Amino acid sequence: MKRTWLVVSITVLVIFILLDLFLVNGHIHVEFPWSHLAGFFALFGFLGCLLIIVVAKLLGHYWLQRGEDYYDKNGDNE
Amino acid sequence: MVTMSNFPLAIIYVLGAVLLLILPRRVRSSAALAFSVVAFIFLLHLETGASLTFPFLNYELVLCRVDRLSLAFGYVFVIIGFLGGVYGFHVKGLLQQVAALLYVGGSLGVVFAGDLFTLFVFWEIMTISSVCLIWARRTSLSNKAGMRYFIVHLFGGSALMAGILWHLGETGSILFNHFEGGIASYLILLAFTLNAAVPPLSGWLSDAYPEGTVTGSVFLSAFTTKVAVYALVRGFAGLELLMWAGAIMAVYGVVFAFLANDGRRLLAYHIISQVGYMVCGVGIGTKMAVNGAIAHAFAHILYKGLLFMGMGTVLYATARSKMTELGGLVRSMWPTLIFFMVGAFSISGVPLFSGFVSKSMVIYAAEIEHLGTVVLLLHLASIGTFLSIGLKLPYFTWFSTDRSLKPEPVPLGMYLGMGLTSAICIAIGVYPALLYNLLPFAVHYQPYTASHLTQTMQLLIFTGLAFWLVMKKIHTEATITLDTDWVYRRPSRLAYNVFSVQVTRLFEAVEELSIRFARFMVKLGANPPGYLIETIRNAGYVFFRARKPTPEPLTFSPDRYRISLGIMVLVVLLCLIVILVWDFLF
Repeated sequence: MKRTWLVVSITVLVIFILLDLFLVNGHIHVEFPWSHLAGFFALFGFLGCLLIIVVAKLLGHYWLQRGEDYYDKNGDNE
Repeated sequence: MVTMSNFPLAIIYVLGAVLLLILPRRVRSSAALAFSVVAFIFLLHLETGASLTFPFLNYELVLCRVDRLSLAFGYVFVIIGFLGGVYGFHVKGLLQQVAALLYVGGSLGVVFAGDLFTLFVFWEIMTISSVCLIWARRTSLSNKAGMRYFIVHLFGGSALMAGILWHLGETGSILFNHFEGGIASYLILLAFTLNAAVPPLSGWLSDAYPEGTVTGSVFLSAFTTKVAVYALVRGFAGLELLMWAGAIMAVYGVVFAFLANDGRRLLAYHIISQVGYMVCGVGIGTKMAVNGAIAHAFAHILYKGLLFMGMGTVLYATARSKMTELGGLVRSMWPTLIFFMVGAFSISGVPLFSGFVSKSMVIYAAEIEHLGTVVLLLHLASIGTFLSIGLKLPYFTWFSTDRSLKPEPVPLGMYLGMGLTSAICIAIGVYPALLYNLLPFAVHYQPYTASHLTQTMQLLIFTGLAFWLVMKKIHTEATITLDTDWVYRRPSRLAYNVFSVQVTRLFEAVEELSIRFARFMVKLGANPPGYLIETIRNAGYVFFRARKPTPEPLTFSPDRYRISLGIMVLVVLLCLIVILVWDFLF
């Protein structure tokens, strides 16, 4: 099962890299450092997703996440 | 002269809201829809360039100013007002119905206002009517959240009024056009960015929107922030500060959304993120960017309304909206899932859905200006959007752990509302000219290019892959996330402590002290010499280890403390001796 998924993902990645190399590269309107890197957005999507998860979880655990009664610990204050 | 070409649409809604008060209960929902239809007919007859002025004191108020910018927002506000009405057709509560109509009317009033006073009046109508949509839920949480929302917006309104008066003093003009800087315009900017929920002024949004009623939150998600985007386009297009604020808030929203447990709070954080794209577009300020901001506002109002309808339906049917309490709804609520996914695909910018043709305009505008960092930040926000709304929220609501919930049946109107909104989202995605023709500037942009399609598909597919890899490790947690509302929520406890608890304690201490003093006085007054003697004896006992004293009687008895006659004679004799000796010597 896992193997199949791995194969599918790599195939998709290769297809996108080929598309980038042969279809997109000739039509770049604005140049950026990443414009000519085939498959850049696949990598960016993958790493960006992990980055958001990790950063959010770290921020949450070490700082921002509190118990649901955080603002109302002493019962009804109003 | 009021004609069809310059008719202030807000009046239809305000009159409608008044009419609702006297109409019988069973026709109210239909009447509300009828007002929207009437407003739409009037809207179609508005002509660009038309305006309606009204002399007031020494000023000319511009109640209605029609141009392509106000028209674009006008269309989407009337449409979402109608769709929200269809979705909320089952609602019988008068407060909600009247507040919703006034809220739509207030928003249209702001959008078509040509001067700052008119703008301010409708701005405040929006504040009051929107808070009623939160209070209408009538829970303790919504009461408190509504009050916080109200206070924050009253602060924003005051800043706006101060800015307007200052601006009037400086320039002598009350017309609402592009601001040229100075303290007055910064005050107005503060009010606008507060309503646009630009961090750190964003705490009110994620605090209050999830606490609104099922239909109320659909309306809330559409108006306040987008009216602010309109105001920013009109007053502050091209302000670089806004560009950076927008790009940062787009990412800020998705990070906080990922931590949210309440489904509607997650969506609320994504309002902040999506408004970030618009604010960024406004900040870039080119024609392409401003077009993009408006297109994105238009598409966003519809798909975010749809998403809130979807989660609202879940809340309606199961009385739950937290991911830790939901799961396994796919069998019983699959139609809602389909509609929700249309909204989710739209907000994630999947090709053929509305977000794809609007979000990309803002990013493209940033690319043309060579703003690499901004482009990457916006792409990152897209990833986070798909992660939270396209994958995580539906996964934990409709799949994941089956909690064998038994959802209540859902009214037909809710499905109809979601269906119609989904249809528009797809129509815009498939045929973007529908949207592009409404934008203020001519559009020279084609979203469906090979490079753009491969880019988007790469981002989406590999975001999905990353989520799939870590999916089993992500747990939803029953927690809340601290946000900038901490600043006024936590110290409110401190203030409560200082001004209420500690003051009460001080009073109690003073009272205790007075009672003790009174007791002491009673004891002393009952037997002063006895008290004195006892005190001296006690001191003797403590300091000089004298004999333990027997207690004195509590009441005064003259015989006990009367000095004996012998001592008196002795004293008199002693005095006599002293006088004699004195006399003899001197």
